[in-house]
Amino acid sequence: MLQNVFDDLRLYGHFLELQVRSQFQYKLNLLADIGAYLLMTGLEFVALLLYFIPFPSLLDWKVGEVLLLCSLTYTSFGLADVFGEGIDHFSLIIRQGSFDRFLLRPNSVFLQVLGSEFTLRKFGRVTQGILVFCLALVLLPRSLWTLDKVLVLFLGVLSTATIFLALFLIGAVICFWTVETTELINMVTHGGREMMQYPLTIYNDLLQRFFTFIVPIAFGAYFPTCYILGRPLPFGFPAFVAFLSPICAVVFAFLSSLLWRIGIRHYQGTGS
Amino acid sequence: MSAIIEIEHLSKVFRLAKRRPGFLGGLRSIVNPELQLVHAVQGLSLRVERGEMIGLIGPNGAGKSTSIKMMTGILQPSGGSIRVAGLVPIERRRELAAKIGVVFGQRSQLWWDLPLIDSLQLLRHLYRVPETRFRTNLAQLCELLDLKAFLDTPVRQLSLGQRMRGDIAAALLHEPELLYLDEPTIGLDVVAKARIREFLQQLNTERRTTILLTTHDMDDIEALCQRMVIIDHGHKLYDGTVTEIRDTFGKDRMLIAVLEQSALQQLPRDEAGEVLLPDLPAQVQLVRTDGPQIWLQFHRDAMPAHELVAWLGQRVTLRDVTFQEPEIESIIRRIYEEDLLLHQVTA
Amino acid sequence: MFPFYFHVALASFRRQLAYRWANIAGLITNTFFGSLFSFVIIALHHARQSVDGYTVTDTLRYTWLAQALLMVVMPFAWYDLMNTIRTGEVVSDLSKPCDFCWYWFSRELGRSLYYTLFRGVPIYIAGTLLFNLGFPAGSLQLLIFVLAFLLAIVLGIAYRYLYNIIAFWIVEARAMVWLAVTVALFFAGSYIPLYFLPGWLYGLAQVLPFNGLMNFPIQVLLGKVSPAQMGWAFVSLLCWSVGMILVMRFLTARATRRVIVQGG
Repeated sequence: MLQNVFDDLRLYGHFLELQVRSQFQYKLNLLADIGAYLLMTGLEFVALLLYFIPFPSLLDWKVGEVLLLCSLTYTSFGLADVFGEGIDHFSLIIRQGSFDRFLLRPNSVFLQVLGSEFTLRKFGRVTQGILVFCLALVLLPRSLWTLDKVLVLFLGVLSTATIFLALFLIGAVICFWTVETTELINMVTHGGREMMQYPLTIYNDLLQRFFTFIVPIAFGAYFPTCYILGRPLPFGFPAFVAFLSPICAVVFAFLSSLLWRIGIRHYQGTGS
Repeated sequence: MSAIIEIEHLSKVFRLAKRRPGFLGGLRSIVNPELQLVHAVQGLSLRVERGEMIGLIGPNGAGKSTSIKMMTGILQPSGGSIRVAGLVPIERRRELAAKIGVVFGQRSQLWWDLPLIDSLQLLRHLYRVPETRFRTNLAQLCELLDLKAFLDTPVRQLSLGQRMRGDIAAALLHEPELLYLDEPTIGLDVVAKARIREFLQQLNTERRTTILLTTHDMDDIEALCQRMVIIDHGHKLYDGTVTEIRDTFGKDRMLIAVLEQSALQQLPRDEAGEVLLPDLPAQVQLVRTDGPQIWLQFHRDAMPAHELVAWLGQRVTLRDVTFQEPEIESIIRRIYEEDLLLHQVTA
Repeated sequence: MFPFYFHVALASFRRQLAYRWANIAGLITNTFFGSLFSFVIIALHHARQSVDGYTVTDTLRYTWLAQALLMVVMPFAWYDLMNTIRTGEVVSDLSKPCDFCWYWFSRELGRSLYYTLFRGVPIYIAGTLLFNLGFPAGSLQLLIFVLAFLLAIVLGIAYRYLYNIIAFWIVEARAMVWLAVTVALFFAGSYIPLYFLPGWLYGLAQVLPFNGLMNFPIQVLLGKVSPAQMGWAFVSLLCWSVGMILVMRFLTARATRRVIVQGG
């Protein structure tokens, strides 16, 4: 069992190597892509910062606090985006008919989908997340940080990344039935990312509940941030709930992998 | 000797939702879909022994690709049973995948931007081929398919023929027992086609790889396949050798004679000005004239070819004579159109 | 020649009508993001009720108008012209007996009309229903807004034509398109209402043509522009549009020559 995991990881490594080499064939293009992507994501962040010139706070959150939340969201989404690009672009695989080829190989279909795309420029968002985090560190009091808070931070980033990946996967599963809804799926994934940059409490109750209980992104980004800042968690949850994000992530990931299997079986039943 | 493919009464029914026009129609389709049943494959039975090379032909939409998808585990059958290499495809898909190779003529599995060798290396890892076996196989394939010249060229820069050879090599790296080829010679020039046919012949005779070839190119079938299966409307219409089908349905040969200009002008004509050849022998027909050429169709059993030439030569001066065998294409077309196979299916 | 261009615009409009579902999906997306920004704006205003005379309602209206105008003036990834260059179709297009520039102009006008009716209006209505925006303007402002809006469309078409035709000379232009569109959107007020920018940046934004894409028309509608400012803005934006159209024609002529000389 464990040997299988190692084998798959090594195989994934080979895929990544191929993708990277493919991109290096067009070096100039790669540089331009990286530059433009950095600008795009950077400008979004600059806009956020600029809001804090006329306005002293967001609800009652100060700049540093908002930046901490932002950095968590950027980094976790960035990680999911880097590794999950193949899943995010799954509709393309279906439309080109490449999925049949994946079924014809003795390897995990999921792995092949993951390995089908990997673009270096997407690391830009992760980098941005880390830089924003450094900025937040500067703006927040140093006495804030204790070991448990560092732990909840790591757990939060990894859990949120997993949940975003699982979201991508659910979006991919829908492609087995129809490829017309990719824009709506993007709304949930990119919309979710956009939403998580700001404190959950600014949204209306319906949205808050949706992103806590149905698509539990808040568990991984907002809750840990509240814990670190010593703010109360929403819905009256006690503070330790912030550490439960990995459980959320595992459950959500498990559900999405079930749906993935159902999707493949549907594909094999009805053809393309 | 056990069979490598055993298919009995295979069927596949697709349920298609009929699209209703308009916005409201679209909504209604979600709530109350009107289903249309498409019987893509019906009661197909087939048995292929190890080491055979068979051709699968049929018009588009006949059910060929659907059948192959079921044989490879991509599609689940609606009924009947399949065993390939002793495995049930839909249940042991990944296991079966390690024993088969598939080449699609129109869709490459090679990575576009990288040299061919990189694709082959990745496939080595995917199929878990040990390093030494890989090197040996690669060397053999390089020699048989003449790949050395473009191993390091990015696939996007390869010609269609080179890419095809690359795809075949990719499918054979892991030494599969069974090879499926879907339109492998489509779009290729004569030289490239001949090359690939030669290779497939060698593969079948030397390595005893079972080969299933889907094609529209009758030359492929005649050159390569001892056995031919015709599929139409989801049914198997014919399963036998090429010669049998030619003997049964293709008894007509064509004699193309080029006449001397003067001889052509001497021939009698009818009211429309068309050339007439009076008192043609039985079962001989004048089918067409085109300038100095005349086409005579004659039944194989009616008279030996040289006798017909002699007969014709006595009446008109001939400059040149050629014979044309009936194309499998036209034989098959006749079979479809005239429903000739209803009583002749060989199991 | 005018009837021809009119029909090109009409055909373009009709073609867009077929993408019904895609439009609805886009509407839902726009509404979602509009709502999201609205929540942020409301939360920001907890600490400060108004900025430079702009109240919460003003800024909310600004946000929704920006979302409404987005697809009309600056659809994010517009590659139509670039694609015809890539596929080589442009060669036959350039030799047609109509003016290449005006042909694309008419085409895009048709699309802009579609997006005005089927995105712009519904989105603003959605914002009004969700966040109680009301309609800001009196009839005079509305009239001037229409003029500014038409100018915005012209600027938008000219801009995307320009960043597409550059593909004649730059092979892999995707990154450049992202850059072009991102910068334009930022200085149009799509990321943040321009009046929130620090003084020097606001000043810069007001001399750029992107101001005319969204910010200026919206400010007119909100009634925040004095007649003097309006005059100055119209003049400068008109100059920009004339300038951009001249560059369009110049580059098109160069491209045509290149096609004739090189054969496509």
